[in-house]
Amino acid sequence: MISSRKEKTFNLLFIVPALVLFLVFNLYPLLRTIQLSFFEWNGIDKDMLFIGFAQYKHIIFSNPAFWKSMWNAAYITLLCLTLQNGLALLLAILVNRQIKGENIFRVIFFLPPVLSGIVVGLIWKFIYDGNFGILNTCLISLGFEQFKDFAWLSEIKTALSSVAVVHMWKGFGYGFIIFLAGLQTIPNELYESAEVDGANKWQQFINVTVPSMIPVFTMVSVLTVLGAMQIFDLIYSMTQGGPAGHTDVPITKIYQYMNNGEFGYSTAMAVVFGMLLLIVSLIQFYVSKKIKN
Amino acid sequence: MNMLKKKSFLDIITYVILIVVAITCIFPVFWMLSSSLKTNEEIFKNMSLLPETWQWGNYAEAFLKAKFGMYFLNSLFYTIVGVGAIVIITSMAAYAFARLEFWGKNILFFLLISTLLIPIPGAFVPLYLLLKSLHLLDTRTGLLLCYISGGIAFGLFLLKSFFEDLPKEIEEAALIDGCSRFGIYWKIALPLAKPAVATLVIIQCLNIWNEFLLALVVLQDTSKMPIQRGLMVFQGTHMTDYPLLMAGLTIATVPIVIIYLLLQKHIVKGITAGAVKG
Amino acid sequence: MCRKSIKVVLKVFYLCIAMFVISGCSNSNKGTTDSEKNEDVVKVWHWMTDRQEAFEKLANDYFAQTGVKVVFENYAPSDVYRNKITAAASGDMLPDIYNPQSDKKELSSYIKAGYIANLTKEMNTGWKDVFFEKALVSNSFEENNEWRVEPGIYGVPLDVSSLMIYYNKDLFKQAGLDPEKPPKTWKEFISAGNKLREAGIQPFVSGFGEAWLVGAFAMSYQWSLFGKQGIIDTIDGKIPYDDPRWLRIFKLFEEMRDNKMFASGIVTMINKDAERTFATGRAAMAFNGSWGVNVYKAMNSALNYGIMYPPTLEDAKYPLLVFDCGGSSLFVNGNSPRKDKAIAFLRWLTQKEQQTYLAQATLNIPSNKESGQNLPEILKEFSNSISKTFENLPKLEAWQVTNYINLNLQSVIIGEKTVSQAVAEVQSEKVRQMKKR
Repeated sequence: MISSRKEKTFNLLFIVPALVLFLVFNLYPLLRTIQLSFFEWNGIDKDMLFIGFAQYKHIIFSNPAFWKSMWNAAYITLLCLTLQNGLALLLAILVNRQIKGENIFRVIFFLPPVLSGIVVGLIWKFIYDGNFGILNTCLISLGFEQFKDFAWLSEIKTALSSVAVVHMWKGFGYGFIIFLAGLQTIPNELYESAEVDGANKWQQFINVTVPSMIPVFTMVSVLTVLGAMQIFDLIYSMTQGGPAGHTDVPITKIYQYMNNGEFGYSTAMAVVFGMLLLIVSLIQFYVSKKIKN
Repeated sequence: MNMLKKKSFLDIITYVILIVVAITCIFPVFWMLSSSLKTNEEIFKNMSLLPETWQWGNYAEAFLKAKFGMYFLNSLFYTIVGVGAIVIITSMAAYAFARLEFWGKNILFFLLISTLLIPIPGAFVPLYLLLKSLHLLDTRTGLLLCYISGGIAFGLFLLKSFFEDLPKEIEEAALIDGCSRFGIYWKIALPLAKPAVATLVIIQCLNIWNEFLLALVVLQDTSKMPIQRGLMVFQGTHMTDYPLLMAGLTIATVPIVIIYLLLQKHIVKGITAGAVKG
Repeated sequence: MCRKSIKVVLKVFYLCIAMFVISGCSNSNKGTTDSEKNEDVVKVWHWMTDRQEAFEKLANDYFAQTGVKVVFENYAPSDVYRNKITAAASGDMLPDIYNPQSDKKELSSYIKAGYIANLTKEMNTGWKDVFFEKALVSNSFEENNEWRVEPGIYGVPLDVSSLMIYYNKDLFKQAGLDPEKPPKTWKEFISAGNKLREAGIQPFVSGFGEAWLVGAFAMSYQWSLFGKQGIIDTIDGKIPYDDPRWLRIFKLFEEMRDNKMFASGIVTMINKDAERTFATGRAAMAFNGSWGVNVYKAMNSALNYGIMYPPTLEDAKYPLLVFDCGGSSLFVNGNSPRKDKAIAFLRWLTQKEQQTYLAQATLNIPSNKESGQNLPEILKEFSNSISKTFENLPKLEAWQVTNYINLNLQSVIIGEKTVSQAVAEVQSEKVRQMKKR
């Protein structure tokens, strides 16, 4: 569809409301934040000390704890991209098979996102508890005696994965409904014509469902990355970043600096973190475009 | 015969998977409900799933103590207006980004969704100062504008890829029939994207309904505050009244579940291309 | 079908616009009445959820007596409260009375910005005599303090609290220990732990997931081994963190670990979970603050327990002091036009009668030393410990170093690092921070 000059100008009207709100309420605070990242400031003092890129330099070269927290978040993200999205897609496809009770499952699978973080934190701590937890009780009754007293959230080997499991459990519902919506927008006639061509169900899935779903895949995976990298509440309520920093993630670090009167430094951390997320997302878009073509 | 067997076998596996996942999702809800009917001591001493005596009074007490009556209407207002505005504003913009041509399209798009990327725990401070200079502190309008702008990036992102995915043929046909661009967006594209819009509405309702930090920071007058404010009454620095908190959480969760129940029906095949043509 | 859905969308749209307009109107009306109303109302923002009702009752009494209206607004939990304060401070819209919930360094910024009034003058007219001496420590600044704040008293304490070890008498009996003679020395403490373990009971729990608690336990021994001057020298960098005495402190945790004293999962436990563990009899000892009395009562009213000091080291040069949690204090906004009214109210609030009521209604140790008569026995014991809390220091360790101490203590507890590795890491962070200064 080729548009004329006049049309192009008229088309801008579609985005004006979004753009205005964005400029005032999103971009302005963002720019202020970036500005703050060049100052040493505790959030209260009347005067701020301009120190240029010093804080960035410190974050990049001499804050290993921050980079470790980044790896922790990356690990959680990787698990989410594969397991959580795999589960969400599988469930969406299963529910989409027009089976009996489809509606009930749709409602149930969206319960974890609806539930309050307070309830989720409490429940999972009951499950993971070393002495009295449901998980260990089950494992011991299955004969795995070595799990007696095993505190899942306090062991270096399991703490991060245990938290990741909770995050995935809480988040798969979003992917589920977006995938479901995606599956529902694929026009029936595509399947019909595939069937006329003699394709079986599997071939239909590969040739019709998968290509139509690529934009949805991209979107869900970008959202998953953003959600998992920005994980915070769960960590805060389940481990406080412990044991000894092994479940620290960027946002808990940023929060820690902010709470210790290092407002400027914490905003610089947020900017560094945001830049990395931006790059990752751009790569995701680029890759998905390549695949689509 | 073979086909039938294969089909029922698949069905069984499907059900097993669905039911196992479903149980893990229902259990916390069940636990929340049962805890809300216990006494505070019972929650800690007695791990059994059912309360000894059912403390139905907890609900009445929680409702009154948290002043849900007052906060409920506020939350309803913020959610309806906020989500309504988000849907209209973002669907229009998303349609433009997906279908129309204008200058700086790609750069503008990335700029608009960039707010999804930079998470700032202290972002409420610049926002607070901004609202102060606009004289919007302690106003419903100010809070709503924050909510709406907070939902733009996500909505744009979600809807754009759905609009891109819709078959172009119908729109082209309508264009030839003399329909205006806005008419096509309004009468054809938006209804076609119904499943995506329903998804957006659900997720945004959840976000706004559960938000409270911004509301607490922006608003001073308690009578304007949302339902999550009420839940604070049960969480002290050292003391938490778990049964009442659980009862309160249940009350606060029910409306969202209802919204989801109503809307999830719309995440079904919209008017497909074939149906319109036929 | 198509038409119908458009109509629905349109209806929603109109509804939105209508509601928006209504909200705009109601806003402008409300706004003016509010600011008029605010002229003579003293506003308090606090986080003490469990005291809201008692506060409201006292505010009513005060109104009846003086005609001054005081409004208590509760924002909880503490994180939320802090965020609200931070935002309000940035816009200079703080209430008349509040607490920034920060350490002395940040407190000094509030004072310098004029957000906190200096109360020394008022305190010197007999007001300060009603308090426990130690209650004012965390609210005042010493001469020559590192932050260059004018020395004096800035905050009004409502209650005081310290960290002690609670022990479960029934579990002690079960393990063959004398429930009336809790361990006093470190050796006795460890051997009691062993006996409890043998009886299948977890000996010790605390919210060590909240790093400050693990640090607070260590700090008692820092006072006992270094004394006040030693601590100041450490902060100044004259005594390094790989000093044998620091090694000793870390070894205490190692010893507890090797004797299996710690409850399962202690390094990621938040204090509320630790409290639950102790209240339900799943651990015999708990390192916790005086607020625990109220918490345990709510969780398990039949719990039979006593309190003891952290066990002493035989060869320590200085007395063992206990961590003073600062209690709950309130500060007056120095920029407020109702400053004097606010100060008068706080003065009234800390008098004997009001303090007695508050203490009994909420089971806290009152800051007024004459109000503790009718408190439960345990709380009286706690209030005796107040005289043995940490002394006022003119400077603080950089928070990054404190954080390293806490994290490395956690590392030692889970057996990730050896004691010498841990102190070396703390020291290298100290060197980094000294360079920065």
